Amino acid sequence: MRPDWLRRGLDYLSERLPVQKMSFESLVTKKVVPVHRMSWAYYMGGLALLFFLIQLVTGVFLLFYYQPTVSDAHASVEYITYYVNSGFLVRNLHTWSSSCMILCLMVHALTTFAMKAFARPREVTWLTGSMLLALTFAFGFTGYLLPWHQIAVNATKVVLQSIEEAGRYLPGALSGLPTYVKEIIQGEASVGQATLSRFYALHVVILPLLFFGVLGLHLLCVQLHGMSQGTDTPARRSEKFFPIFMLKDFWLWGVAFLVVFVLAYCLPFESFYPYPLFEPYDSLGSTPDGIKPEWYFYFIYYPLELLPFWVVMLGQTLGGAALFMTPWIFKNTSRKVLGIIATLVSAYLIVITIFGHDIYEMFKGGGA
Amino acid sequence: MKRALWATAVLCLSAAGVAQAYPEFQRYSKERSGRSINCALCHTHSDGPEGLRAGQIGSLTQEELDTLGLARQATAPGSGLKSPILNGFGNLMLDELGRDRIQELRQRPESLAESLPAGSDLDGDGIPDGQEYLDGTHPLNSLDGQPLKLFRNNLGRHGFHIAMMVLATALGLYGLHNAILWLSTQTGKEK
Repeated sequence: MRPDWLRRGLDYLSERLPVQKMSFESLVTKKVVPVHRMSWAYYMGGLALLFFLIQLVTGVFLLFYYQPTVSDAHASVEYITYYVNSGFLVRNLHTWSSSCMILCLMVHALTTFAMKAFARPREVTWLTGSMLLALTFAFGFTGYLLPWHQIAVNATKVVLQSIEEAGRYLPGALSGLPTYVKEIIQGEASVGQATLSRFYALHVVILPLLFFGVLGLHLLCVQLHGMSQGTDTPARRSEKFFPIFMLKDFWLWGVAFLVVFVLAYCLPFESFYPYPLFEPYDSLGSTPDGIKPEWYFYFIYYPLELLPFWVVMLGQTLGGAALFMTPWIFKNTSRKVLGIIATLVSAYLIVITIFGHDIYEMFKGGGA
Repeated sequence: MKRALWATAVLCLSAAGVAQAYPEFQRYSKERSGRSINCALCHTHSDGPEGLRAGQIGSLTQEELDTLGLARQATAPGSGLKSPILNGFGNLMLDELGRDRIQELRQRPESLAESLPAGSDLDGDGIPDGQEYLDGTHPLNSLDGQPLKLFRNNLGRHGFHIAMMVLATALGLYGLHNAILWLSTQTGKEK
């Protein structure tokens, strides 16, 4: 006889993960995809997966040459870029696809939210998706330090410093916690070899293992529940997942790959930043102007520059909690309202990413 | 001991303004382009020529100090000397213009670009060195350039490779497309 809580727990899980439904028919031949004005959003998750695969392959190639030591890291990246056959292309593909992956994941999360695809029984799909988004940001943060150039080390210092600063706003014994967390991440008194070793281990081993596990669960959930309806009224038309949707998906993958290939081949990601930022990190030399994180952290970086620290921390904590609690917070919210929220969030992300520097100049002046 | 004396003498000359870096060019490039520039535009060390670190005067060997002394006397163009505190771009300026002309250009740094050889492109990125100076990008770094110009140049340069990749991707997808259709037909038949 099972206790009541266990029975209810198992019932809850079996509704969210109905593995008994898994069959060739349900996963392949009978699976359909609704066709409506938001159908394009069904491709975003697949695109993010493509960019992840590109990163996986290019990341393995980079591993062959990269040296994770403060004395050799920058030189090994230079060696990859200028001396290894197609090294420049592989490295630039890695960089461009990371940005494309984060962009696709953001669009995927926002459209999934607007389409209410997190509603019962897809809570686990949303939760695992949110974890993948967080892991992807962690990939971006840890990977940023690895080339060991000026912007990498100085931006990492800024982020770690803001973690420590959070302690000022926590009560009692908790105030020491952020410093403790910072020291664990940093590994020594300042950003140095211990930090690089930790970020390297996280970037190439720990985060990928976590990512694979969560991605597997996410994809399983997607397969078990199929595509969500996405609209208030059932779509009038649908198409078969196999082969129609799958074929379209692969062709889109082909186009997306070519776009990122051309970008990687013709447009070095570094060209968007001033060259002093990519000089080897020199702890005794002067810090160049324009130190800032990657563009996908601007949504939090510029508010940190403009607003009181506690306001941003509070907003970030509430935003993070809302992201993970979405299936329960917005359980009874209509798709219309969800669409408005998603549009507002999108507008904020676009404006702060593109015009963040101008907004900063407008309010604070001086170099950001 | 002798080397230290030489270095001290050169540093003293620098302090007296006889042989210092020329920040006018750096300032102009930064203002015009809006991009952050440092001394590595022309110098070996990104913090400039004065100091004791690699590429700075205080770190030079006796032989390098001698070369530096000669380079500083190269008032006319075409000396062919390579100053150890300057990088390829700095030495190009020295060789093409000579010190007198460089001193003169300090008053009107906007004319530096047109004074340099039009076809000179030290990093081979397709953007002439003079233009890179105006754009605030590094003339010795092929990854650094005005993004649109780099994209256009590289697209032209790698056109064949890109066309081959488009062809390969299209053919691969065509094969995959037919394989999936065949598989779909087979599963339909089995059913």
